[in-house]
Amino acid sequence: MKHRMNRRRFLNGLGFSLALPMLESFKTPIALAASASASGQAKRLVCIGTYLGFHQAHFFPRQTGKSYKLPYVLESLDQFRNQFSIFSGLDHRGRNGHEGWKAWMSGYASGSVSMDQLVAAHVGGRTRYASLQVTCGSPPDDARVSYTKEGLALPMVGRPSVLYQILFRSDSDKSRIEYVLKGNASVLDGVLEEAKSIQRQVSKRDQRKLDEYLTSLREVEKRLQKQEAWLEIPYPKSDYELPQFDPISPEQALECETIMYDLMALALTTDSTRVLTFMVPGWSQVFEIEGKRLSTGYHGLSHHGNEAKKIAEYNLVGREHVKRFGRFLEKLTAYRDAHGQSLLDSTIIVYGSGMGDSNTHDNSNLPTLVAGGGLQHGHHWAHDGASANPRLLGDLYISLMQRLGLDIGRFAGATNNLNEWIS
Amino acid sequence: MRAVLWSAFILIPCFVLANEDLPSKAASFFESHCYECHAGDEEFIEGDVNLETATFDWSALETSDFWTRVYEVVHTSDMPPRDADSFPSADEREDLLSWIGAELTQHAPIGGTLPRRLNKVEYENTIRTLFDDPEFSVPPSFPSDEYEEGFDNVASGLNLSPPLLAQYLEIATTVVDEVLPEPVKLAEAESQSYRVPPKELATAEGAGAALAENAYRLVSSRNMASAAGWTTLFEAPVSGIYHVRLDARIFQTGNMFYKERESPFRLEVYARQNSEQKYDLFENIRKLGAFDVPASEDQASSHELEAELYLGEVLGFRWADGPIFSDPGRREVSHDFIDDRLLNDRSFYAAAIKLNGGKRGSTQIEFYEAIRDLMEGGKLDLSDPQLENRPEIYGGGLSNGPHNWSKAYAQEEMHRFGPGLDILGVSIEGPYKVIPDQLTRQRLARSKAFLGPRPDGIDDIEFAEQILRRFLPEAFRRPVTDDQLDEYLEVVRTHLEEFPEKRVEEGLHLAIRRALISPRFLFRGFKPGKLDDWDLASRLSYFLTSGPPDDRLLALAELGVLSDKSVLESEVQRLLAKPERNEFVRHFTGQWLSTRKLKDVMPDPRLLRFLPRDRETMIEETERFFEEILIENHPLDTFIDPGFSYRNQFLNAIYESEVSGREMRRIALPKGGKEGGLLGLASIMMATANGVDTHPVHRGVWLLENVLGMPTPSPPPEVPAVAPDTSGTTTMREQMLAHQADPTCARCHKKIDPLGFIMENFDPVGRWREHYPVYTEEAAAPLKEEFYSSDSEATRLGRRIDASATMPDGTVLKDVTDLKAYILDNMDLFAECLTEKLMIYATGRSLTFGDKRVARELAKDLLDSQGGFQDLIIAVVLSDSFFTR
Repeated sequence: MKHRMNRRRFLNGLGFSLALPMLESFKTPIALAASASASGQAKRLVCIGTYLGFHQAHFFPRQTGKSYKLPYVLESLDQFRNQFSIFSGLDHRGRNGHEGWKAWMSGYASGSVSMDQLVAAHVGGRTRYASLQVTCGSPPDDARVSYTKEGLALPMVGRPSVLYQILFRSDSDKSRIEYVLKGNASVLDGVLEEAKSIQRQVSKRDQRKLDEYLTSLREVEKRLQKQEAWLEIPYPKSDYELPQFDPISPEQALECETIMYDLMALALTTDSTRVLTFMVPGWSQVFEIEGKRLSTGYHGLSHHGNEAKKIAEYNLVGREHVKRFGRFLEKLTAYRDAHGQSLLDSTIIVYGSGMGDSNTHDNSNLPTLVAGGGLQHGHHWAHDGASANPRLLGDLYISLMQRLGLDIGRFAGATNNLNEWIS
Repeated sequence: MRAVLWSAFILIPCFVLANEDLPSKAASFFESHCYECHAGDEEFIEGDVNLETATFDWSALETSDFWTRVYEVVHTSDMPPRDADSFPSADEREDLLSWIGAELTQHAPIGGTLPRRLNKVEYENTIRTLFDDPEFSVPPSFPSDEYEEGFDNVASGLNLSPPLLAQYLEIATTVVDEVLPEPVKLAEAESQSYRVPPKELATAEGAGAALAENAYRLVSSRNMASAAGWTTLFEAPVSGIYHVRLDARIFQTGNMFYKERESPFRLEVYARQNSEQKYDLFENIRKLGAFDVPASEDQASSHELEAELYLGEVLGFRWADGPIFSDPGRREVSHDFIDDRLLNDRSFYAAAIKLNGGKRGSTQIEFYEAIRDLMEGGKLDLSDPQLENRPEIYGGGLSNGPHNWSKAYAQEEMHRFGPGLDILGVSIEGPYKVIPDQLTRQRLARSKAFLGPRPDGIDDIEFAEQILRRFLPEAFRRPVTDDQLDEYLEVVRTHLEEFPEKRVEEGLHLAIRRALISPRFLFRGFKPGKLDDWDLASRLSYFLTSGPPDDRLLALAELGVLSDKSVLESEVQRLLAKPERNEFVRHFTGQWLSTRKLKDVMPDPRLLRFLPRDRETMIEETERFFEEILIENHPLDTFIDPGFSYRNQFLNAIYESEVSGREMRRIALPKGGKEGGLLGLASIMMATANGVDTHPVHRGVWLLENVLGMPTPSPPPEVPAVAPDTSGTTTMREQMLAHQADPTCARCHKKIDPLGFIMENFDPVGRWREHYPVYTEEAAAPLKEEFYSSDSEATRLGRRIDASATMPDGTVLKDVTDLKAYILDNMDLFAECLTEKLMIYATGRSLTFGDKRVARELAKDLLDSQGGFQDLIIAVVLSDSFFTR
């Protein structure tokens, strides 16, 4: 068995720092903001994508504008009609296939910084975790969607019990973490001395290499200090009851999805983080929905070959995803923050997929729904790719990032924005 | 590198007095032939090369790069350019070159590798060796290395960034946890009961299996984890001893195809970590027990076992001896039962042939029902002579032939009529006793091995010293001074003083993880000049095994005899005989021959059906080919015209060969032909195309860089990419004429383009072609199985390929066989190129002028003495370049 970073480390309290992403601007907790709400800017970002996509014909309304009929897959969101908008015709003009999916949040083939990480760099200093990445179980094909600016793919937490621990760590864990952090601090001090003494003895050219080392050392030291400072701030408490077992096998994916949404809502209400990314996976598991066992595995359904029966079953799974998403929206609507604002109003949510047509693995016309954030909603905006001034999905992302307070004009090949649609 | 080179001039201070250093002949050379473009007003200087203000400040790295470049362009007559007003005479060139050459030889000596960080592969191998953990690998989020000069082990490219250092620290903690784990505290746990009803069992595949009522029915005995039924909600909550009881019953009816069985059915019970090993062979999965379920139909039987279950494990139940099975060690379904049905159930066979796999994408159940309809419909021709044939096609999904049809049908049939083995329910009780889990036990064992026996009567600090005295020199790959040892011992001492309740293991944990992020561990080669024996041992070991020096190398370094040439030569031979030499084969060829790029190339399905295993096979062919030349010490021309290669059946579609079997075997190829060698390997052809089209410039550049040793600079930024016009109306040759028209372009393209044209006979996946393909309208429709072949209607033959080309020296070549002959006639070019590549890889630096001189000499000596490839490697190791940092 490989000794890779696996979930067991989390349960033993050792892998904690994997959950603390490596980000540049990491303000100290003393600078915690109670203040940022005044401008009416959105404060949080949640990105949720399904790995096996949605059936476009049943996700996008036939009509545009305000009075569209809610399509089949989205029917359960009826009560939130005025709190979300649908965007059709947008994509990254990128690669097809599952490889292209990884670029959902970054626009290019995987490896460029993703939108959630840019936002995390901007708002992440105020919370214990600059961002959290979540999935259900072990993701298929090592699918990753969040990338740091150095192009590192961020790992995702797939077990509800682990996410729970990350949010509501117990005190015994705290002392263990403190012990390891202190140890690391002294380790870094020690090698600093070693490096300095080597530097004194080597040529000028060599010193430049050691400078790289020393600069990196100082950066890591700073991050360690931030982590230590956060330890002093007590973790929030929760009486949420986890099930006895982590439902991480593919057959339990829908149950896992429900619990992950609950925990994500708690992450936001406890202000543990302001940036969440959820990759909703799919394998070949055969679901049982409303007592009916489907005829084939989820992946098989996504390759429906345009057969009505398979599409119908594929959409049943899609509806289940959307139902759970709806519950998440409910939770956010019900919670008011210290300023009386509903959490949904101050959180921008992007819901959709990096997969366009799952049947052919074509990644154009990506299903995209944006909710919350205090934006004007209730529309279906249909983008026409053949228009004189075509836009990319990146243009939408630019608009959303601007609403979150980022000063940004280009992203993922896009150099424009969709501000006329996002208001 | 070139771009940096040109722009570096802005940084060189403009000492006017510098040019007084120029001998008068050089000064007048520059004035007459160069200053027109390369002096005067900064604004009008060509290519940012200012010869008037260039200095000889040898302490600046850029100086030797600059003058090396000047040397090269004058040497190859690239400068002055073709459209210049005047040209130097041969004598003038000679004088200038000998002067610059002397300067460079004096001032740009051999050597100059910066402190060299371990790259990812080297780091992994080093940790594995240091901690005796052959399965260690870095996490998926670990950053990749940067390439320089085409290799990822060159010091100047191996930078250290904060995220990387943070990862090293993280990994250090995890790695040391494995050998110095926390004290084991067994959790208290009460025994509980769990009931697993049949509906909570699932196979890992989960495709369309119908559940019998109140039972989980097993029908497949395939040797793959996915054929067993696994608990989905139950996983062991804590490692301990559990009691498992299950009820089972066999299922047989009168309507079975298979004969009713009287002997018991064998049921096996397995355990694995949840979400791991889902497709492993059963011999790799932990078996808890096995039972015989009696064949008496109406009676359920109970079976019990007691077993250790580890935290997070799920239980699986397998019918081990049913009619659908696979051979031991293999996953593919065995042929016997398939033939059984196909030859003995004509009605089925006839229906299957008629249905021909059914509709694309149909499920197993749909397929079964369609077959039954045909079988019961009474319209089958059972006297069809085709039914006498033994079916051959197998593998893949339902669309792939009689074997899979038979298996799919049989499984569905067995669900309905038997035979099958039903699991009626499982009860689990425990833990009766809590035990340390597998991971903990493993760690305790490794800790014991790592620490070694603790002698009686010594205290914690003395024990720590004993361990550090052994570990630190291994980690730092050289002896440590007493002061250094004390520094680390102090870490332990301080820790135990601060935390008296901790053990010496915790103190050591701290010390060792510090060692793992020390620059002495992460980097090699701090001492400039001639390498001492320790640095020599490291350099040699990482060169040929991508790993740290072994005991024998360290012993020789200890004795101070490693720099003795005969010792070094025998060490090279010894290392190349070790299995670790595969690291050299894999990583050197992966980069030199660009096979690492293959994982990102996605062949167009209109060309052929390409599976990951085909890619792996191509790479294996390349590696084995290289390995033979290395081990057998073949002469260098073997790379160009080998007369052999390594193939198996998977490459038949590419090479139009008829090799049988999955095993790679050595096959003979005609000498002087189009097959084999660096100018024939499909892997290289594929890596130098984009999966869809070929592009002569890419292949030409690749050959110049990697075979002829004449790398070309990047094109000027204003040049747009040329997209191949696949409508066939313009040939690539016509499109590339633009290169010859402009002298600036022609300078390089007169060398690049001919090589590219010659290689056009190889398509984007390495198949030989005489015509360009033209894709028909059918190809635009959704892909069907039929398109996976070159004689389908998807393509028709387009324009005939004209692979002829004229080399810069006027030689006319008609195709790749001529090119091979041309290179064989100019082996010095290839020999030098390969030698340089080896030297870059071995020393981890861009070669200086002095190094390139060495390379030239080594290549010449090798060819003169008719030595082989291994002799060349030995020569590289014995060279001054290798001995100098």
